[in-house]
Amino acid sequence: MIIIGEKINGSIPSVAEAIANRDAEFIKDRARKQAEANATFIDCCASVPEEQEVETLKWMIECIQEVTDLPISVDSPSADVLVEAYKFCKRPGLFNSVSGEGDKIDKIFPIMAKEENKGWQVIALLSDDSGIPKCAADRLRVFGNIMAKAKEYGIAPSRIHIDPLVEMLCTSEDGIATNIEVISTVRKQYPDIHITAAVSNISFNLPVRKLINLGFLVLAMNAGLDSGILDPTNRDMLGLIYATEALLGEDDYCMEYIGAYREGLIGPKK
Amino acid sequence: MSKLEEVSVLITKGKAKLIGAAVQEALDDGCEATAVLDTMIDAMGVVGEQFKNNEIFVPEMLVAARAMKKGVEVLKPHLSGGSASVAGKVIIGTVAGDLHDIGKNLVAMMIESAGFEVIDLGVDVPADKFVEAVRENPDVKIVGLSALLTTTMPAMKNTVEVLNAADFRGSIKVMVGGAPITQEFADEIGADAYTADAASAAQKAKELAA
Repeated sequence: MIIIGEKINGSIPSVAEAIANRDAEFIKDRARKQAEANATFIDCCASVPEEQEVETLKWMIECIQEVTDLPISVDSPSADVLVEAYKFCKRPGLFNSVSGEGDKIDKIFPIMAKEENKGWQVIALLSDDSGIPKCAADRLRVFGNIMAKAKEYGIAPSRIHIDPLVEMLCTSEDGIATNIEVISTVRKQYPDIHITAAVSNISFNLPVRKLINLGFLVLAMNAGLDSGILDPTNRDMLGLIYATEALLGEDDYCMEYIGAYREGLIGPKK
Repeated sequence: MSKLEEVSVLITKGKAKLIGAAVQEALDDGCEATAVLDTMIDAMGVVGEQFKNNEIFVPEMLVAARAMKKGVEVLKPHLSGGSASVAGKVIIGTVAGDLHDIGKNLVAMMIESAGFEVIDLGVDVPADKFVEAVRENPDVKIVGLSALLTTTMPAMKNTVEVLNAADFRGSIKVMVGGAPITQEFADEIGADAYTADAASAAQKAKELAA
């Protein structure tokens, strides 16, 4: 499972405060803790007005790179910001994100197509100019368009993390059926592609959110989810990821599961 | 870390993909093939001990044994007679009427890792099949019988009786094990040894064959 650590995001009030005060230690601590908890990428989102965003991301990225060699998921709703901010990364990371919306793809894919950026990956949301499509068929149509663009620019499916867009369960009419249909169809069409999700969106506005998040994770992984934007320092979440991978037959002799336990990443704290 | 230490660490960590190269490097470095084999057997001994003490889980023992197997493959051509079975031959099987093989397989694996050649007769093995196997392998040193069910304990008793009546009895040792088996039961039916787990079985086999 690819884990995109979500804890450095300006939309979290304590992080916003740290950004405003340029509290480097706070940012570094969150980067370090996520790295220790086996994150694959450290997500970095400023959540400040666009005119300050590039400069803010530069400072944040530098803080993160001081404490970990993990690749960074450069997170901004603006493709123009991503085009500037990715340059601050010492090693190839993840563009978070593009979608079928506007010309985002045409700004990011050409950068990824360059020889020197072959290590860069991208998250692609299945929304377009009309918003988030309601039904699975429409999201898959957006997916088809994105993959046509990827082919055009020579971006291999293994560099793309498709985000089927997780919406809150409490107002959904069909539970996560739409998500599951999208995930399993995408997985069937492209065995090498990554499928990601912002897991905690699912439980918005519900009590004991953790239970909903964990249940969603298992069902989505079963359908083909292999990447997630989540908090790796949440031991229940991480433990369930290892357990589910073993149950899905993706963990030879359960050695990853046992290894995570031995490293003290999962199970009761010793 | 010396080459032999590296081999030892890779065995205990169960690194099947890396062990072959490490064994080859140790040989290239001038280590005797038998010394490499002894190192691996000792490492498996440590793994067995850890398992016995509940310090590691079954899969960790399995991957160590898998690494051992890979290492032995590389080593075999360098050993005299092309054989890694320095300790002798062992015949093993689950007794008649009993289809359980997990415990038996673990024991077979650990005994093999201790340097024995293991002839595994499988599950539901009638007494005369054991006798036949010993006749076909006159150099066999140990016969191991497994039973998981209380209902197949009589079949184990019967098998030991048949073996005890055979003319070759003096040249073999009979070991028994399985969840319902006890030292008391082993004594009562006339077996030579009982062990409670796979690691102890391998240890006991070494003692009996020495």
